[in-house]
Amino acid sequence: MSHDSHHAPVACKTELAPERSDLGLIRPDRATGWIDWLTTVDHKKIGILYGAFAMFYFLVGGVEALAIRTQLARPDNDFVTARMYNQLFTMHGTTMIFLGVMPLSAAFFNFLVPLQIGARDVAFPRLNAFSLWTFVFGAFVLNASWFFEFAHLAGWFNSFEWHKALVYTDFAPANGWFSYAPLSGTFGQNGQALRFTGVGTDFWIIGIQVLGIASLAASFNFICTIINMRAKGMTMMRLPVFTWMTLVTAVLIILAFPAITVALIELMFDRTFGANFFNPSAGGQPVLWQHLFWIFGHPEVYILVLPAMGIVSEVLPTFSGKSLFGYPIIVFSGAVIGFLGFAVWSHHMFTTGLGPVPTAAFSLLTMAIAVPTGVKIFNWLGTIWGGRIRFTPPMVLALGFIWMFMCGGFSGVMHSAAPADSQQQDSYFVIAHFHYVLLGGVLLGLMAGLYFWFPKIFGRMPNAPIAYIASGLVILGFNVAFGPMHYLGLAGQPRRTHTYHAGNGWEQWNYVATIGAYILGIGVALAFVNLVWTAFRGKKCSNDPWDGRTLEWSLPSPVPEYNFAQAPIVATRDAFFEDKHGSKRIGSEPDGGEAGVHMPSQSWMPLVASAGFLFIGFGMPMMAMGIPHAGWMVIGGLGVLFLGIWLWALEGPGGYMLKTPVNRDAPVPTETAAH
Amino acid sequence: MSDTAAAHEAPTSTGIDHKKLIMWLFLASDCMFFGTLISTHLLYRKLFPAGFTDAEGHQRFIQNLFNIELTSFSTFILLMSSFLMALAVSAMHKGQIKSFRRNVLGVIFFGVIFLGCQVYEFTHFYHEGLTIQNSVLGSTFYVLTGTHGTHVAIGVLWLIMMYFYSFTGKLGGHMGALDVEIAGLYWHFVDIVWIIIFTAVYLVEYLGPNGIWGTGLPAVAK
Repeated sequence: MSHDSHHAPVACKTELAPERSDLGLIRPDRATGWIDWLTTVDHKKIGILYGAFAMFYFLVGGVEALAIRTQLARPDNDFVTARMYNQLFTMHGTTMIFLGVMPLSAAFFNFLVPLQIGARDVAFPRLNAFSLWTFVFGAFVLNASWFFEFAHLAGWFNSFEWHKALVYTDFAPANGWFSYAPLSGTFGQNGQALRFTGVGTDFWIIGIQVLGIASLAASFNFICTIINMRAKGMTMMRLPVFTWMTLVTAVLIILAFPAITVALIELMFDRTFGANFFNPSAGGQPVLWQHLFWIFGHPEVYILVLPAMGIVSEVLPTFSGKSLFGYPIIVFSGAVIGFLGFAVWSHHMFTTGLGPVPTAAFSLLTMAIAVPTGVKIFNWLGTIWGGRIRFTPPMVLALGFIWMFMCGGFSGVMHSAAPADSQQQDSYFVIAHFHYVLLGGVLLGLMAGLYFWFPKIFGRMPNAPIAYIASGLVILGFNVAFGPMHYLGLAGQPRRTHTYHAGNGWEQWNYVATIGAYILGIGVALAFVNLVWTAFRGKKCSNDPWDGRTLEWSLPSPVPEYNFAQAPIVATRDAFFEDKHGSKRIGSEPDGGEAGVHMPSQSWMPLVASAGFLFIGFGMPMMAMGIPHAGWMVIGGLGVLFLGIWLWALEGPGGYMLKTPVNRDAPVPTETAAH
Repeated sequence: MSDTAAAHEAPTSTGIDHKKLIMWLFLASDCMFFGTLISTHLLYRKLFPAGFTDAEGHQRFIQNLFNIELTSFSTFILLMSSFLMALAVSAMHKGQIKSFRRNVLGVIFFGVIFLGCQVYEFTHFYHEGLTIQNSVLGSTFYVLTGTHGTHVAIGVLWLIMMYFYSFTGKLGGHMGALDVEIAGLYWHFVDIVWIIIFTAVYLVEYLGPNGIWGTGLPAVAK
């Protein structure tokens, strides 16, 4: 077998002799610089790349949000056209959810999970790289629709024949982030497939499809890693809560994404091949789209929020100097949220007329799901109660999370009452609710995570005063922007409407909300500038600046590529904290030694396979546009995907041995403690 | 070809190999995938029990279209392919590479017969007037069974590659047997899904005097 021909152990991978894979190609193991980043299989580098792309798309989505708020600042405004406005709110929602929050959560999964469970990497390092690049290409396809839109507005397409055949010409998606049929679908008999919307919808369909593949592949990988690669002694009930929430999130993803995948396939068949799944003129049921979308869409809400809850559950104990209050209850309530998350989807559809029994059932279940969430809130309060609280930027953001998320939760419970929900449906009240959950909850949680783990990721400490100012601006701006929307919604302002007339009593609060949005924008931008500056130029800090509790803090910062020179043996929850202050030491396994640590080989193949999605991603919308021979581009893309996977399978895993410093100087305890 | 070459030295926390675990996870996800497709089909069958209208404007019932003998035959073939797959896995565990090759060739052969039947069926139905475009029934039927067919085709390709790979001598030992077993898991799953589709899409149409959905022709139609 190929991996018997390992090199002699080296101290640094650049010393490796060139090794050929089973295919005879030279492996990019020794590469540095951009080739190293493109071919990396190191979960930490993949995590950093996820984070960088996510922060970029946060800014893109933020600019879209500010354009929306600028348009709404004044009644009868014409800052953007109605069509552009539709595209802006659609892309804002899609970008923030699929390209901002999910990848930023994935960045934390990647960087932290192996470190927290005492592993050297994820179960499938090359599959992990495949997830990353598939996400990158999917995100690119989705956003490339903007370039088509701008080219169209500039008149570049006017001379093309196929362009004249297009009646509806939204080039960027314009259906809202859930793309309800029949607006997103077709009408007309016998495969006429007349469309309400332009090619933007096709970009959206294929973009979300590709992003779904990335999420699925990553989730398989992470469930496998968490279940199968725990260090000795790391039982399931000793896992750090963040890792637990990652596990629940990944299970949600693998069970929820198939529903949207099928829905997207059906919609794609409608639009591209004239099928009738959601075509009302041929008997298709548009409400089926709503069901399929929300069977995915509601678990998706928990997919977004559970990682942030996990982060907060790490930050609060650290800065309260106490262990997490009611660890098993936190874990079980997380699992219950995941389970119930599949049973509440129809509360998004109370106004479709489900009938009294389903409406009552979904109402009840929606109220029920507030219970495990409330349990978590009380556990967090119990954690800080009587603790020795240290105020740091992550702690401030985590405390903000509790407050703001709770506000979002309260308005959420209001929605669970179906009669009240019928009044709030499609109003700004809903906008206010889910922004309190997603911004006040998820964004604050993720920012807390960034400030908390940045010193571990880069070995540099973010500037605290700037961090406080940024956090303050975010919390202030966010409340000023979204607080008034509760009122606006109850006063009747509809969502997804590009303007409103004066005289409805909405002018004042819309103006205030826009001011809040700009404060929020400045706050987020300041935080990101602070973080990026820290990554490159920040002040160096110690390996354990926060007096951390979990295994990742026991490692040097930045973490070496092999993570643990010696695999740890864990005897308790909060193993590192106990090791420092308690009686139970972290043991270590007697491996490594002169043979070194086995490292997986780097590979081009995940990138090659993912690149197939680029061709598929551009080919499908072009096919729907009716561009001749575009189908060949899709087939070519499938070919590239297949070729990449095939070469990936045949190149062999390879691998090399890396010497660890433990062999030379080792102040690491070698005796294992209590079992 | 495991990414975790060190698996020999470091056993997993559960004792289940990573590759086998990830295949089970994938299958869990695929259950939801087919579950959604099958639900879509049944839902529309209930809503539009009357079948479809062909190009000449004739009302057609689904039982007129089905050739239940042919589909039963292809179902039987697919079931038998699962039997051969089990033999191939067992042979690989015993290190009998020649027996493995024989059996896997049988699986591939049967898989291709199944796909051939499906191609015949699709062509036949198309000429009879059921298209993906002219009715909801056409859309759900072709997309559901076509997706299953794609799964079978991927399985056949996988096994063909495994067959040829076995001649390089690299498909051997514990890891080789594991790879074959995982392909087997996939193959059996696809087979089980077909049993569900065959029941839910074909057989139930013949229940009751007017078909299970209340309208339609007597089961002896044709």
